Amino acid sequence: MHLGYGTRVAWFPLNHRNNSTISRFQAFKSRGWVLSFQKVVTNEPGPAGPDFALSPVPTTGLKQTAEVCLGSSPPCLETVDALRVLDLSKSFRSGFLRKPIRGIDGVSFSVPRGRVFALLGHNGAGKTTTINCILDLVHPDRGQVNILGMPHGDCAVRSRVGYLPERPYFFEHLTGRELLNFYAKLLGVQDGDRNRRIGELSAKLGFESYLGRRLKKYSKGMLQRIGIAQALLGDPELLILDEPMSGLDPMGRREIRELLLEMKEQGKTIILSSHIVPDIEQMADTVAILREGRMVMIRDLADLGAGASFEITLDGNERMVAEDVEVLSETLVRSRHENRTVNRIQTRSTGLEDLYLSVHYRKEAVR
Amino acid sequence: MMGNISALAMSTFLETVRDRIFYLVGVFGFLMLSSTAILSPLTIGAQGKIMVDVGLAGMAIIGLLVVIFVGSGMVRKELDKGTILTILAKPVGRREYLVGKFLGLNLTLLTMLAIMGMIFLFMTFLAPGTFSLHFVKAFYLTFLELTLINAAVVFFSTSVSPILAAVFSLGVFLVGHMSESIRDFGQMQGDGFQQKMADVVYYMIPNLEVFNVRGAVVHGDPVTWQHLSMATVYGLGWTLLLLLLAGSIFSRKELRG
Ligand SMILES: Nc1ncnc2c1ncn2[C@@H]1O[C@H](COP(=O)(O)OP(=O)(O)O)[C@@H](O)[C@H]1O
Ligand SMILES: [Mg+2]
Repeated sequence: MHLGYGTRVAWFPLNHRNNSTISRFQAFKSRGWVLSFQKVVTNEPGPAGPDFALSPVPTTGLKQTAEVCLGSSPPCLETVDALRVLDLSKSFRSGFLRKPIRGIDGVSFSVPRGRVFALLGHNGAGKTTTINCILDLVHPDRGQVNILGMPHGDCAVRSRVGYLPERPYFFEHLTGRELLNFYAKLLGVQDGDRNRRIGELSAKLGFESYLGRRLKKYSKGMLQRIGIAQALLGDPELLILDEPMSGLDPMGRREIRELLLEMKEQGKTIILSSHIVPDIEQMADTVAILREGRMVMIRDLADLGAGASFEITLDGNERMVAEDVEVLSETLVRSRHENRTVNRIQTRSTGLEDLYLSVHYRKEAVR
Repeated sequence: MMGNISALAMSTFLETVRDRIFYLVGVFGFLMLSSTAILSPLTIGAQGKIMVDVGLAGMAIIGLLVVIFVGSGMVRKELDKGTILTILAKPVGRREYLVGKFLGLNLTLLTMLAIMGMIFLFMTFLAPGTFSLHFVKAFYLTFLELTLINAAVVFFSTSVSPILAAVFSLGVFLVGHMSESIRDFGQMQGDGFQQKMADVVYYMIPNLEVFNVRGAVVHGDPVTWQHLSMATVYGLGWTLLLLLLAGSIFSRKELRG
């Protein structure tokens, strides 16, 4: 199928130019297809039916999300998404009266392969519940989850997913090596590969010398690393990490960040949750903001990036602000000509922080 | 599937075995030593009998303590701390998980019984005229009984708190040893209702006296192969039933987020 000017497209009007729609169109573009967002769109499906269609997905809390369904020929967008979550809801009953407490309500999103998707929200916003429902560790009341093209209840898909729970805790009396061996067996990693994988990962995560020690003796940061190692053991296509940076010192955070970016480069899809804006800013492509169990906003960070700016410290104390990379490089060239010392270049907020806070303090409650 | 279960069983075995549980074996050795020391004024024959009686009872009780106290907290601890999430997020079924935990603890139990049995055989060997290979049959029956109790602990711990699971399992143990008496007592009452109730208790609770051959062993009466095989079928039947029930409860259980 050739997509280009004049291709027949069914277009269900959206309330606004939806970011995920645009990124999907960009996915076509990156395959070298001629496609212009405005021109291909016609309002009427032709007599022959649409070649592909944009259909609205019913979601609550969000405006409208577009879904691109490609008729026949490849690349079928079905295979592009590593994860699809539709209208996921879960409430908990607890206490004497069994009064239901909202965990999450109507969470929907999809994550194309190779992207880093972040769930951002305060404690109790529903990040962990979302993740646990995705993995069917908590059975959702309502909604659908599709992981790598399979329903989430399917046991087989789990060997292709790596998962790190919040505050990981493991057996106390096993050694790090024994624990990782145990997980590798559960993942069905072959005997010969097991030791090699464990060696590689422990070296990369810097706990090689601890492998023979009992986990009781591990510090919190070391346990977090073991947790990440067990998530990566099966060389998963999709990584789901609940608060991967928690309990780590700044060095540790940086190492994990670099590791995750490396994973991304290898084409892995990463879902992570955090309540810390900078962690997300530095890693994620897309961020979904959760509040009181509802998804209140979903944005590509690239779209927020327009507000990205740099702070430059010259000659020890003089501060300058460069609005974008071009201004930054001009400033640097100029300062070299003027023989000035550049002490420090710092990125300033991309605007996510402001957005997050505005969402959180917005007066009108999310119902 | 067998791979998963054996991996789970091995890790559970290591985890429980390394948890200072072998001090209890020391307690057992001490118990047996002191039973001989205190009772030394008695005649040689009586001393041997008491040693066998104390030793077999001690083995059963120490095994019971391990199964109940380690078992009741085992699943709950993983539920509370989230270890279970990392396991169930892998291609592992909930039933497999439960069976793996059960087998792991049972392996610990077997190891402890084997070590205590060795101590037992060694000490009875030293006491003149006491030693008999029939003791091994008593060990085996104790193992079967505690396997059943282990399954009961796993069953209870899937639905109630560790303390309740321990109490209920202990209840099964105690009532299980009395269930014959309860039935006989019911039979003696003329009242049809009381007879029925006693029968209900008898069939609802495993009859653990089946596994008690202490009296026979102490007095040198034979323990027949027929009894052993019947007890095996009875014990494994109950174990299987309890595990099946536990599995179906657990597979529907809400894990904590
Ligand atoms: N097992 C549970 N029982 C009762 N309430 C729960 C349970 N798990 C989560 N919740 C509730 O669901 C909401 C979302 O929690 P959670 O998903 O853990 O948030 P987050 O991970 O974003 O901090 C909170 O209000 C929390 O109290
Ligand atoms: Mg959480």
